[in-house]
Amino acid sequence: MSVTRVTASMAAPANRVSKPSGERLPFNTTSFQKKTRSKLLSIPGTRPSVQNGQLLVSTGVTSLDYLLGGGLAVGTVLLIEEDRYDSYSRMILKYFLAEGVVCRHELFVAAAQDNPTDILQELPDPILDDVAIHKPVEQPRLSCEPHDSLDAMKIAWRYQNLPKVQSALASSSRFGHYYDVSKTMEPEIRQAAKCHPFYLPEHPTQSSPTHSPMLESYSALLKSLEDVIHREGFDVATPMSNSRNILRIGLHSLGSALWGDDLCCHDNPRHGHALATFLYGLRALLRSSLAVAVVTVPSHLIQNRALMGSITRLCDNAIALESFKGSERETNPLYKDYHGLLHVRQVPHLNCLVSQLPDHKDLAFKLKRKQFSIERLHLPPDLSETVSRVSRGELAGATMVASACGSGTSGNKHLDF
Amino acid sequence: MLPELLQGTDAGGFLIIQDSVNYSGRHLLWSFINAALNREEAVHVLGFEVSEEELKDGLKGSHIQRLHFHDAYTDPLGWTDQPAFTVHQFCLEKLTHLIKQTSQHKPATLVIDSLSWILRHRCPPDVCKTLQQLKKGGAVRVIIGLLHADMHQRGIVGSVCHLASSVITVAPGMKGDEAVAKTTKRSKSGKVMQEEAIFCIKEDLTVVVQSKPSHLGSRQTDPEEQETDPTANLTFNLRLSDTERKAKEKLALPFVFSKEKKSALLHSGPGSGRILYEPDANDDYDQEDPDDDLDV
Repeated sequence: MSVTRVTASMAAPANRVSKPSGERLPFNTTSFQKKTRSKLLSIPGTRPSVQNGQLLVSTGVTSLDYLLGGGLAVGTVLLIEEDRYDSYSRMILKYFLAEGVVCRHELFVAAAQDNPTDILQELPDPILDDVAIHKPVEQPRLSCEPHDSLDAMKIAWRYQNLPKVQSALASSSRFGHYYDVSKTMEPEIRQAAKCHPFYLPEHPTQSSPTHSPMLESYSALLKSLEDVIHREGFDVATPMSNSRNILRIGLHSLGSALWGDDLCCHDNPRHGHALATFLYGLRALLRSSLAVAVVTVPSHLIQNRALMGSITRLCDNAIALESFKGSERETNPLYKDYHGLLHVRQVPHLNCLVSQLPDHKDLAFKLKRKQFSIERLHLPPDLSETVSRVSRGELAGATMVASACGSGTSGNKHLDF
Repeated sequence: MLPELLQGTDAGGFLIIQDSVNYSGRHLLWSFINAALNREEAVHVLGFEVSEEELKDGLKGSHIQRLHFHDAYTDPLGWTDQPAFTVHQFCLEKLTHLIKQTSQHKPATLVIDSLSWILRHRCPPDVCKTLQQLKKGGAVRVIIGLLHADMHQRGIVGSVCHLASSVITVAPGMKGDEAVAKTTKRSKSGKVMQEEAIFCIKEDLTVVVQSKPSHLGSRQTDPEEQETDPTANLTFNLRLSDTERKAKEKLALPFVFSKEKKSALLHSGPGSGRILYEPDANDDYDQEDPDDDLDV
């Protein structure tokens, strides 16, 4: 018997809510039916997740996609804690927006410091015919090849053909594009994308007489976002049409003083929960729409760690960038190849209790001309099952047997080397 | 980097001189005023902490006629009937009006002495907003502000400095009139440059940068450490002569095979295969019901 899922797994919540209502087909139909994904999923620039089938979009940074489990799930929020001088966090935001332009998604850019149109003008140039960029893993070679120098390391011959360990994070299949940071995107490409800018100083904020925990700037932003989502049909509830698209939302430096928020200024800010309230609203809005948001927050200025924690909890993904610029780590030889460290603060829990954790916690990033790459800071130890080691379960079993039978041969087996 | 900032080669921006109780940044601020006056620019000073007489006395010999002093020193909070300038007038409209009144031709330099006074009496987000508007607006070319960093919470200092394009942190130097300036400059492209320099300010308010001590002290110690060679006085031989090396290389190690044998062992032949798999749009990953045998 076959159960066909009628509803599409589109955005995160819609999928789960409507799942139990999947209709069972009449008994007489054949049980052999190819399950195919709905046509709705064929939005350019998206793909279903390998793990849980969530619809993903690329962040524009290939290794960040890998880190987040393939990409950003549609309907979620990615929080980026800015580095001290906001150079790399701004870069990631620009990658995210540029990827949207290339995939012909719609953009919503909000900022209080710089005009969003200025941010859009700085988008990096996409490398569209980038065949040479993504090289396969270097072919293994024997170390005794004629061009090898005398002081090449001699290792046991069995290991000579093992592929080199790749420290850069990358998945096997391509998703997202590469960009050339040294050039800006051509205006024709840029203008082809539909963009909704929100520049706070130019935006009239009506002071509401009612006492609300949210600041006027934030409520104006949320209102404007809501308008765009409803007007442009990014709502999941709107009737299905063939031309569904994704809205990419980039919110720059939220929580800084220019948004009228004193979160950064005091230990006990007057509007302490304004940003958290906004993020709560944003998340609720995104859960029912074909939109995905990247929010940057100057967390190094926020004095109150508890508030920062609640802000992190209200986003699905959270990463923090720690630039070496200006810190004593800049001169540390360990970090000489990198521009900063990347901390994963939170990974999304989408329709599940446990989430997929990144396999490595010590991550560093570097910004190259054609790539923002996130790499493992150290080579990871070999934890694969082929390594000769006694697993904990076996060990526990062994001691149990040994204690039961005194000094029997069965216990001895595990103690042999 | 300090001389370039003094010369004002940049197109504009917002410069903060951060000082503390150990070393006053006011002399450096006056040097900036002096340099701007010498470039024949109009300079507007919002003076909260120093009277007009003292400032003009300090700037003796400069082109004072282009200096416009807005007196917030005598009555900063507007307690009398006729205040010249108060803290509460620190907003975009008032300031542009003030600046436009006197210097119509060229964008002027606005000097705030000091930002700490304003931050004490106004709420920081408003101050930041005004500063950002001034920076973006056309009336002012450069804003130079003095900030007593030890008077405020770290977050406020951080928020204000976050807006600045350049921050100069001054601290006392080793010798009498020397001081150390740590300059951080952010270019528009997002590049950050940092420099540390020892400087002193002369009588006529010119700044002499004496040296760039960027980690000179630490570097001097390094060669000494390297000079001590632990392999110098050994009772055994660690080095190989050329003949010894040749003899060593001639020796074939056990289990070292010829290249052909190795490749035969390591490379799998043409008969073996490997699975290449790319996920496809029509692939179905269903964790709940892999066999399709449950009534989900």
